[in-house]
Parts: sequence; structure tokens; C-alpha cells
Amino acid sequence: MTKAKRALQAVALSALTLLPAVARAGVVVAQGLGLPPDASQDGHKIDGLIHETLIFIGIMFAIMVAWMVTACLIHGRKHRAEYAHTTPRGQKLLVAIVGVLVLADAELYLKSLFDMNDTFWNFEAADQAKDVVRIEVNAHQWAWQARYAGPDGRFNTADDIVTLNDFRVPQGAPVLIQLTSTDVIHSFYLPNFRVKQDAMPGMVNRLWFKPMETGEYEIGCAQHCGVNHYKMRALLTVLPKEAYDRWAAEASANSARGFDADDVVAHWGWDWKDPKPVEGDVPRAAEQAPKSQNGKEG
Amino acid sequence: MDLQPIHPEPKSFLRRYVFSLDHKVIAKQFLWAGLLFLLFGGTLAMMIRWQWAYPMKPVPILGPLLLSKTGGAITPALYPAIFTMHGLIMIFFAITPILIGAFGNYTIPLMIGARDMAFPTLNMLSFWTFLVSQGLMIAAFFQKMGAAAAGWTTYPPLSDSVGTPGWGQTLAVLAIFVTGVSTIMGGINYVTTVIRFRAPGMTYMRMPLTVWGLWLTSILNILFVPVLGSGGLLLLLDRLFGTQFFIAGASAVNGGGDPLVFQHLFWIFGHPEVYILILPAWGILCDLLSFFARKPAYFYKGSVYAMVAVTLLSAVVYGHHMYVTGMSPLLGKGFMTFTVMISVPAEILFVNWLLTITKGSIRLEPPMLFALGTVFVFGLGGLTGLFLAIMSMDLYLHDTMFVVGHFHLTMASASFLASLAGIYFWYPKMFGREMNKTLGYAHFWLSTVFITLVFTGQLVAGYSGQQRRLFEPYQYQFLHHLLGVNQWTSYFAFALYFTQILFVYNFVASMFLGEKAAENPWQVGTLDWATPSPPPHHNFDVVPLVLRGPHELSDPEVIRSLGRDWIGQAEALPDERPVAEPARAAEGGRA
Repeated sequence: MTKAKRALQAVALSALTLLPAVARAGVVVAQGLGLPPDASQDGHKIDGLIHETLIFIGIMFAIMVAWMVTACLIHGRKHRAEYAHTTPRGQKLLVAIVGVLVLADAELYLKSLFDMNDTFWNFEAADQAKDVVRIEVNAHQWAWQARYAGPDGRFNTADDIVTLNDFRVPQGAPVLIQLTSTDVIHSFYLPNFRVKQDAMPGMVNRLWFKPMETGEYEIGCAQHCGVNHYKMRALLTVLPKEAYDRWAAEASANSARGFDADDVVAHWGWDWKDPKPVEGDVPRAAEQAPKSQNGKEG
Repeated sequence: MDLQPIHPEPKSFLRRYVFSLDHKVIAKQFLWAGLLFLLFGGTLAMMIRWQWAYPMKPVPILGPLLLSKTGGAITPALYPAIFTMHGLIMIFFAITPILIGAFGNYTIPLMIGARDMAFPTLNMLSFWTFLVSQGLMIAAFFQKMGAAAAGWTTYPPLSDSVGTPGWGQTLAVLAIFVTGVSTIMGGINYVTTVIRFRAPGMTYMRMPLTVWGLWLTSILNILFVPVLGSGGLLLLLDRLFGTQFFIAGASAVNGGGDPLVFQHLFWIFGHPEVYILILPAWGILCDLLSFFARKPAYFYKGSVYAMVAVTLLSAVVYGHHMYVTGMSPLLGKGFMTFTVMISVPAEILFVNWLLTITKGSIRLEPPMLFALGTVFVFGLGGLTGLFLAIMSMDLYLHDTMFVVGHFHLTMASASFLASLAGIYFWYPKMFGREMNKTLGYAHFWLSTVFITLVFTGQLVAGYSGQQRRLFEPYQYQFLHHLLGVNQWTSYFAFALYFTQILFVYNFVASMFLGEKAAENPWQVGTLDWATPSPPPHHNFDVVPLVLRGPHELSDPEVIRSLGRDWIGQAEALPDERPVAEPARAAEGGRA
């Protein structure tokens, strides 16, 4: 037993010498902590909820730890245990704590529900905005292909802009993306815009955001999609409106010049899907969707 | 007719220790098999952590041994196999056999006063089927194109024969199917045993909460493992026979199927699975906190109903794993509603634990410390679940390391620490020897501190945006600054791993060097401790007549008349007439 105690002391002492290292670890962790900069119009809604939740669970966690430590310290071996299966005070405490948690949950739940309805799943509003930028995305191992409709507003035509891992969008306009995958499931992840959507083969999913800050941002894949999942990285460049227009005009003209009508494989775009209202309503007929010559999906 | 005759103890080595029908021996078999695979799974985790701390650098010790072809470094192709096998092994082949196979087998008959399981032969078959599945998992490592690599969730089309070709993935899916068969056999056995083999007087509301947890887990297993089985079977058909249940996109011919259907099948099982792994842990916690605080478990009935409510709701919350798959927004909102609802019973249970240790007379023995450690990590893990349950936050956090940290705190850390609490608690009964307490204390403090730091580190990385399952996260510029966090998380993980040497030594050495254990070293009243340590082949010479609940500790009347603070569930006070409750006695013929 004494041998074991000495061993324990040695362990405790060596743990003490590690303290500076642990302090250094704290600093490193603190440097890494934090959400990536938010460059979107609505990301702050998510950040706000995250911060609110963080504070709330921080308080609950502190209460929990304090409770456990106090109980162990003051109700130790020497304390006489109370014989009770329930106590009126305990039941009140139980109801109070669960009540607080339920209220907090409900508050976060409702806020999130409104945010989803009004913003993140409100594809109709984004689609109806005059300056909306529509992009079709076709994901495949291990790259993101983007297709812009070009001046004619129709997908799968000669003036489409098609890029690989290179997304360009204007500042301050809603970007509405419809995405699918050719092979396996990928997930289109925009950390700086706080949104994410799976790209599923055989399905066309939707996602929208409004970029507010110009600059270059990274797009990642968030769903394991094979060996090079970690390399499935693309760039999203937010340009001032004029610069974007200039780029779009030039790229579209280039595409039209290089269009090869026989290269069927390259025409993977699809008719833009009419964004259905978020829930409940009967879907409108697709008559608004512009007709194009080829509705083939990737 | 006598339901539980005393069978003579088998004499041959083979029937005693290998093909044994004794639930206590089968429990130990599950325990050994599970601990061994816990070591495998943990070693794989260390390789992942090494890669994140020192990308592409040769892995020390293991590298030269296993990866000589690449000079000891992990390759992008090998990496997915490592995390896939880590996940599958830990969930199906380490935690499941320890918590359910070992504790379920050991404690259920002893705690309800039965001489064995209802179906001893099925019990033995369950273990041997399980061993076959473990063999299939090991075989998967040695296939030409590598082990399974489509993630533990095995989402098609990545998991189809185009996405992940080779026998490794096929064998792993087959292993899950076979282990499911074993789990169902065990589940049927546990459920029947609890319903039919409770000793007279052992009403449902007198069962130890450990048994409640294991029983509810078994019900979930019987209901939902078949769903996983059907999903797995269809996937095998897709891989081997050219069907297209889940295949869409380029690898589909003439229409194909729907990958999303697999996700529904997977998570209808997958979310209850989380509760399958945590309910036994909750039950053990409820009992241990009461035993070592020397007072009754606070609001026993509340805990029971809370666990039942969690069991019922567990099947209708699974969609929160699929918020960003493109399923209908209406469905998503429904799942969010149920997910928020399921937190209520969990909160009731949690507050019950805190109230159980309040005003007690706490003995900080190793099992109690591990139980408190479980409460601590589960509290942290449970609270972080709030971020992921709420849909808009999940848009950002989904599939990041935050999710990984969250479920490792709730499912991995909590069930790991609860397993250790259970092992330290039942070891004297199982092996008839005491474990070394000093080593137990050191093991507890180091394990709990490191495990918390490891998974908090993952939460931090995920909060900053790091996706899961990245071979080399620093390909992304926005993740560059996380190298430090990931390195420190890795150091803590290595420390956690090597801390377990204390446990391995204590566990093995105590079998030979430990002091002989008394019949009831923890001074508690449940029936398992009313047998010799270790119990005889038939457990009870006379099937006990149960008179009271499992947590009658510090009852003033008992202290007055017996001079100690506990009373056995089947022990009568000097002036008490030993009759079971009338309703139960009328059934009769049990003993």
C-alpha cells in the first residue's frame, strides 16, 4: 500500500511539472477558438443563437459542477445520509430546473423556427428578388462544378458560364443554389456564410445566402465522399457588383464562342426548379420555369 | 412446474469455460471480447489523432509495424478505413458487448433473483455469433483493397461496390448484420428473463435501475436492430448482386434507387442505438450514486418513467441526423420538435442524480468516482446537444468536429466511464477478488481529466468550423490556425490511451494478487450482493423472496434494529412477516 502511495505521489508531482505545458495548451486553444468571420447577411442570426446557447449551457454546466462538488464536500462520509425517496423541496427544485431548461429550449426552438421559415428556408423570397444570382452546382469526386444561366436566363444553353471550384458572386445580392451530385453524397459547406446542404445523387437540393463582404472565401465538403474528401475545396469570390457584371459578361461571351453542341456530357444542367413555398402549400405548376432544350440531370 | 431447477455444474473444461451456458461465464466472455476490441478501436483512434497532429509523418511504434509500405505514414486511402473501422469497432464490438453483453448477462439474473437466463443455449449462441462477427471485422482488415472505408454510417452510394470496391467493406457490413443477429438473440433473452424470471416479490418497481436500463435497451434492440439488418442486407444485395436499392447518379443503370432511403433506415436504428448504449449506463449510474451516497435513489419512479419515455421517443427523433440532406422542411421541423421534447426526460433523470447525491453520506470509492465522472461528461455532452438539435445552428455545425465531440462525450465517454464504474463495482463479485483502490483513484482522475480535454478539444475545433473525417484539415486556409488545438487534443488523447495501462494492470493482476472479496464489500442490498463472491453456478440455493426496493439505505428503522445502514432486498426485519406483495404471491410457483 505504501509503495502504491509513493507511486501516486510521484504521478502527482510529475503532473505538477506539466502545469506550464497545460497553461500553454490553454493559450493555444484560446487562439483557435471562435467562429470564422461572418460574411453573410443572415449568418448573425445563427451566431446569435450559438452565443446565446453557449452562455446558457455555460451557466447550467457551472451549476451542475458546483452542485456535485458541494455535495461531495459537505455530504461526505461523516455526514448522516437523509432517508427519503423524494422530498417536497427536491420535487420543487426538479420542476424548477426542468422548467428553466424547457423554457430555454422553447425560446431557442421558436427563434430557430422563425429563422428557418423567414430566412434559411425562404427560397421563394430569394428567388423573387430582382438581383438574385442563380447557380446550379454539380458535385462529383472531388470537385464542385458551377453553372450560371448567362444573359438568356436559361440553363443548359450556349451562353451558360461553367466553372470548376471557382464561384463568383456579387456583393449584396441573394445567391440561390440548386445542387446535385453525380456520384456519391457530398455536402456543400460555406463556413463564412453559416450554411450547408448535402448534394445527393438523384435529387436537387437548395441553398441560399446573401454575401455582404467582398473577398475570397473557402467552400468545403462536409460529407465523407471518398479518398480525397479532404481536398474537395473550392473558392467563392464575392465581387463588387460592377466587377461581377464585367466578369459574367466576359465569361458568358467566351462560353458562347466555345460552345460545342455535340458535347452532350458537358450539358449537365437542368431546367431551374421552381422554388416551392416552404411548407404546407400545394406546389405551383412549373410553368414559370423557362423551357430549355435539354432537361438532363447530372 | 419448477421454472428454475438447479442444474448440476458441468465438469469438463470445455463446457465450463468455453461453451458454457452459465450467464456469469458468458458475461465474462463478452467482457474479454469487448475489452480486447476496445483496445483495437482505441489504437485506431490514436492513429487518427496522430495524423491530425503530425499530418503525413510516420506513425511511431505502429507505423514501422503495420505500414512499412508507406514508410510508416498514413495514406489518404488508408485514412478513411481507419476512422470507419474505429467507429464500427467501438460501437458494435466494444461498448455493446461490455455494457449489454457483459453487464446485461452478469447483473440481470443476479439482480432479479434468477438462477440463469431464460434461454441459456440462446445465450451461448448469442456470444458465439458475436465472436463470428468480430472475426469478420478482423478479416476485413486483410482484404486486398483495404478495410471498410465508407464511414461508420456506411452511406450509399459511397458504400456501394463502385464507391468502395473490395471485400473489406462487404465483410464489415456482413459483420454488422451478424452482430445484429447476436444482439437480437441476447435481447430476446434479456426481455424474457426480466418478464418471467423475477423472484417472487420482485415487482417492476422494485427492480434495480440497472436492470431497468438493460431491459429497456433490450427492447430497443429487438425493435430496431432488425431495421439496421434490413438496411444492411439491401446494401449487401446492392454490393454483391447488382440490385439498386440505394444507388443513384452515375453508377445507377436504368433509374436506380434512392440513397436517402438508406439514411432513413440507418437512423431509425441509429438514433435508438444512442439510447441503447446509454440506457444501461444511466441505470448503473442511478444505482451506484444511490449506493455510494448511502441513501435511496431520488424519485425512483420518476427515473423509471423518464427512461421509459426516452425509450418511446427515441425512434421519432432520428431525423435530426438528416437536417441538411434535403428532406422536407416540414419533416425537419417535426424532428426538431421531438428532439427538443426528448431532452425533458433526460433532464429529469439528470436532476434525480444530483438530488440523489445531495444530503447523502458520500463514499468516494472508485466506482462512485467513475459514476460521478460519467455524470460530469454526460452533462457536458448533453448540453452541447442543444446546438445540434436546433436546426439553424445545425446548418453551421452539422458534420463538423463539434458533432464528433458531442457524441463522443455523450455516447463514448459516458458509456466508457460508466462501464469502468460497473467493472470496479462488480469486479469483486465477478472474480472474487478486490481491485487495487489506489490504482483505481489514479486511473479515475487521469481518465476523466483527459477524456474531457480530448473531446472538448474536438468541440473547439468544430466550433471553429473544422469538418469531420478530413485526412489533412490544413488543406483549408480557414483551418490553418487549428493545428495547435488539434495537436493538444492529440496529446491529451495519447495520455488518455496510456493511462489505461493502469487499468489493464489492475484488472489482470487483481485476479491473482487482489485480496479475497467479501460477499458484500459495498454494503448494499440488491440480490447480486446476497450471493457468495463469486456466486455458485446456480446463483441462489433458495430463490429469494423479495420484500423491498433496491435502495433501502440509511433507513432509521433498519439502523435501529440491525445496527447497519443497509438491508437486503430479501432480508426481513426481526419483526417483519416475509410475504411478497399479494398480487405477485398469487402467481406462485416461481421458486
